[in-house]
Amino acid sequence: MFTRVSDLDRMFDAMGLLRSRFDNLFSEFDQTAGYEPRWSGRGNYPRTNLYEKGDQFELVAEVPGLSKDDLDVKIQGNYLEISGKRQVTAPAGYRSHRVERGSATFTRSLTLPAEVDSDKVSATLKDGILVLTMPKSEAAKPRQISIK
Amino acid sequence: MDHKDLTKKEPRAESTRNVPQVTPLVDIYENDDAILVHAEMPGVTKDDISVNIDNGSLTLTGVRSVVRGGASEWEEFGDVEFQRAFSVPQTIVVDKVSAEFKNGVLALHLPKSEAAKPKQIAIKAG
Repeated sequence: MFTRVSDLDRMFDAMGLLRSRFDNLFSEFDQTAGYEPRWSGRGNYPRTNLYEKGDQFELVAEVPGLSKDDLDVKIQGNYLEISGKRQVTAPAGYRSHRVERGSATFTRSLTLPAEVDSDKVSATLKDGILVLTMPKSEAAKPRQISIK
Repeated sequence: MDHKDLTKKEPRAESTRNVPQVTPLVDIYENDDAILVHAEMPGVTKDDISVNIDNGSLTLTGVRSVVRGGASEWEEFGDVEFQRAFSVPQTIVVDKVSAEFKNGVLALHLPKSEAAKPKQIAIKAG
């Protein structure tokens, strides 16, 4: 049947491939579903990632087609609200063939894992990605404990 | 049995890519002179976008790698490859197609050839 170890090896490779496809099944399903028009009151627009970097949080949000004047960010304690308005209109003199992007107003509120210092928050917008850098408030910062 | 067989790696029959492919949302507009295509590709940089027109088919591709750092509290989007293809009429002047990328939206301008533009026919008095 299997005369060489490499035959076995190849069989396990094929099984590993199948397993990785199954592993990705749920995340892929989620990913593609997320790219359907997501305006209709699902409350998860814009999509965000949150990273914790020691004494600050970094929130990254997908906001394609929005300029900085269209966005509004409010922070109080550990409560964060991103709101905005997107207007997509056909350029003057053009007929629309296909409109998938659409105009919308949105608000999303998020609860951060800890309070942040709202005076020191900085925001940048580049290539349709909003990045909020939020230093934690003094009480929430990690502290070095000295051992006596 | 030859010992080499134990360490030798056979090439895999199929290599999988872990970057999921997604379809960017587009708006398409047209007037007598041109067709416009606006595609959403948030987080892609200008250098990672390719626009190809070949034999009447227009392909847009953009690869996004999310900048990560620190521990992730939640992640709703990640690395993706935006890809979408359209068929374009032969009346498009391929040499004059222009593209612009602003705020995560790719805007393509596809001008039509002179021959394809509608013409008003003057009626002579008999």
